[in-house]
Amino acid sequence: MAEEKLVLNSYLSFKLGEEIFAANVSKVLNILEMTKITQVPKSPPYMKGVINLRGTVLPVVDTRLKFGMSATEFTPNTCILVMEVEVDGEALQVGGLVDSVQEVLEIDLKEILPPPNIGSRYRSEFINGMYKLNDDHFIMLLDMDKVFSSDEALFLRESTPDAGNDNQF
Amino acid sequence: MDQFKKKFFEEAFDLIQDLEDSLLILEEDPDSSSHIERVFRAMHTIKGNSAMFGFSHIDRFTHNLETVYDFVRQGKLKITSPLLTATLSAVDQLKTLLNEGDTVSDETMAESLRITEQVNSFIAGTAKVGEEEDRGLALLAKDADIASTYFISFKPHADIFKTGTNPLYLVDELCSLGRSITYAHTEAIPELSLEMEADSCYTAWSIFLATTEDVNALYDVFIFVEGSCEVDITLLAGIDLLGNTQFSDRIAELYLAGGAFNAAELKHYAETLCTSEQALECAQTARRTVTTKENTISSIRVSSDKVDGLMNLVSELVTMQAQLSLFAEKSLLPELSAISENMDKITRRLRDTAFGICLIPLDSMLTRFHRLVRDVSKELGKDVAFITEGTDTELDKTVIENLADPIMHILRNSLDHGIESAQERAAKGKPAQGTIRLRAFYSGTNVHIQIFEDGRGINPETIRAKAIESGIIGADAVLSKQETLDLIFRSGFSTAARVTELSGRGVGMDVVKRKISEIRGEVEIDSEVDKGISITIKLPLTLSIIDGLLVKISETYFVIPLSAVDTIYAAKHTDLKKYNNMVVLAGRQMPYVYLRTYFDYPANDEDQEQIVVVSYSDISVGLVVDRVVGEYQAVLKPLGKAFKSLDFVSGAAILGDGTIALVLDTTRVIRQATAR
Repeated sequence: MAEEKLVLNSYLSFKLGEEIFAANVSKVLNILEMTKITQVPKSPPYMKGVINLRGTVLPVVDTRLKFGMSATEFTPNTCILVMEVEVDGEALQVGGLVDSVQEVLEIDLKEILPPPNIGSRYRSEFINGMYKLNDDHFIMLLDMDKVFSSDEALFLRESTPDAGNDNQF
Repeated sequence: MDQFKKKFFEEAFDLIQDLEDSLLILEEDPDSSSHIERVFRAMHTIKGNSAMFGFSHIDRFTHNLETVYDFVRQGKLKITSPLLTATLSAVDQLKTLLNEGDTVSDETMAESLRITEQVNSFIAGTAKVGEEEDRGLALLAKDADIASTYFISFKPHADIFKTGTNPLYLVDELCSLGRSITYAHTEAIPELSLEMEADSCYTAWSIFLATTEDVNALYDVFIFVEGSCEVDITLLAGIDLLGNTQFSDRIAELYLAGGAFNAAELKHYAETLCTSEQALECAQTARRTVTTKENTISSIRVSSDKVDGLMNLVSELVTMQAQLSLFAEKSLLPELSAISENMDKITRRLRDTAFGICLIPLDSMLTRFHRLVRDVSKELGKDVAFITEGTDTELDKTVIENLADPIMHILRNSLDHGIESAQERAAKGKPAQGTIRLRAFYSGTNVHIQIFEDGRGINPETIRAKAIESGIIGADAVLSKQETLDLIFRSGFSTAARVTELSGRGVGMDVVKRKISEIRGEVEIDSEVDKGISITIKLPLTLSIIDGLLVKISETYFVIPLSAVDTIYAAKHTDLKKYNNMVVLAGRQMPYVYLRTYFDYPANDEDQEQIVVVSYSDISVGLVVDRVVGEYQAVLKPLGKAFKSLDFVSGAAILGDGTIALVLDTTRVIRQATAR
């Protein structure tokens, strides 16, 4: 892992539904098979719960819900990506549910296209850029820090109106 | 070197704390010789240490203070209130000096000088500081067991400096062995002329030492300079003669008369004294022995990192133990379950012991509070007694660290706004002296700290008017008395008509409340006009490992702290729904919270459920769960920022099979569930 961290243009691609996304490998610590998730009552729907990651308690986010898709349905391919994201200058570990993990791609900086401003279903501030995988597929390179922080509060406010306060993590 | 300096600072702050403590006691009891002694000794040690580590400005500063207290110790100066005030401000200055360390600003230096002058003014009438030192009269007292008195004549050769030895260090070292009186023989010093060699030693010393060490220990002091000095040690008496004024007067006389002491003569004189004084002296030393024993209570200083490390290991051990217990239960080996059970007992004891280490009594903060009350009441010209109760109540060190500021703030508020001036109090028929009482006690899973003052109290009407004025509530809001009083915890609220230097900047009680919520505590306020205010801080005994009751609701495990649990009853689901959240258990009517509904879980298929009765404030409340699994030692792990808003869950615990259980904060669960 440590070696890969240094290579900044490696991306791990994963699927949510039919769409392919990718996160810089420096953000991904671990890929776990699906395990038992303990639900935490009265938390926002996209907070799937917590898992036991070798003795520490790791919050797990249903990434699909966060991207406005339907809730994850568990299949043998479902994985938890353990990521280290930076929120308000603090490193934070969080698990994200994904439908399946694809591959590690070496993407040259030149090949990264700017994120589309119009016509995208996803908010462009989450996206670092696009990469053309083949003629049919584009991959969205995600800015994981932003996905899990700045707009978090917006999502929260929509989903739990009564939890109102500074509910970032 | 840095690590030694760190040690020095640590020790210095401890000494200062001790110093402050003793000074405040001296205020109550100015004649307490044991505390004067403590003050002197603390100053002396700070002085010595700072000189050793090259903080010469601290050394000089403390030296002056020490001189003053040397006079006090000798009975030449009385402890007075202005002297204490000056000393306390000097102690504050000492703190500043220590905080600034190597880089002392000019302002601080100027302040040091000012305080030094102020302190010196107290002894101006008694004697001149410099002279006293020139005469080489250094009294150094130490508690001693049964001591013997020795006469040591120490004559360094002229070339002793060439070996790099400082004879004064040897004298110091000797003096550190016990009580001593030292005389310097300076007759041999030649006139300042060309013949005088700057690197030659012309001085000799005569030391009278009362020590428990044997004569070999005294010789050991000189072990490295054997070739370059003459040392003569004579045992004068088997008791401590230095406490005997007759003896000390006699040697002072001899010194002034001619300087040189004759060992044989002294021994003879000592013997005659001995027989008459022995009985009295023995009694005295015996008494001293007792106090010495108290001072040497065996406690050690451990860095908090190590303690945290220990706690982490114990937590992991407890988790592993849970796994072992589970495995032992499943396996059919009888020996294994016996071992596992024993391990479990030991783990529990280890856990409790490790916790004990992290707990600090409230006492550790008290000096600061006493000091604050003293200083502020003086400044405001109010007479206030500060009474503390139950300060041996122990709390986790992190809680203690975060508690000092809020309490200081509350005290400051009470002194400034609460307690009236003496005239006002007299007019109301109250005793002229105001009282602030700080009381700490355990209550279930909480520690309560109550601060009560008998001042003017808060008028709810004033608060209401103020709150409407500052727009916190609308003019037509209907609030109970308690709700009105709680308004003072809102930000931007200050009841004081005038803003003073001390409090009332409008950043008052809301900060207190926030700080205390940060350590998962709560603040409550109650007040009667002209009777006073009582503020109660409730703190959870949150420790990282708790004894809990493991329960299951739907598919999730929860841990309820065992200390909150009263009884467990079985109940039928059909019985529960009949009344309005009230159930009759063992003939008692009791409110209950149906946790499945509160947690938005689907309805239960089973009819059989269990009610865990927990104490909530002063009443009992039932929590309805699906099933009680059993007792469980839970290692509390934080849920993390992701679940910050869920304050009814104090953390998570990992069970033996690796699943996660959520630890409930019953007080918050009940409050939130009933608020709906």
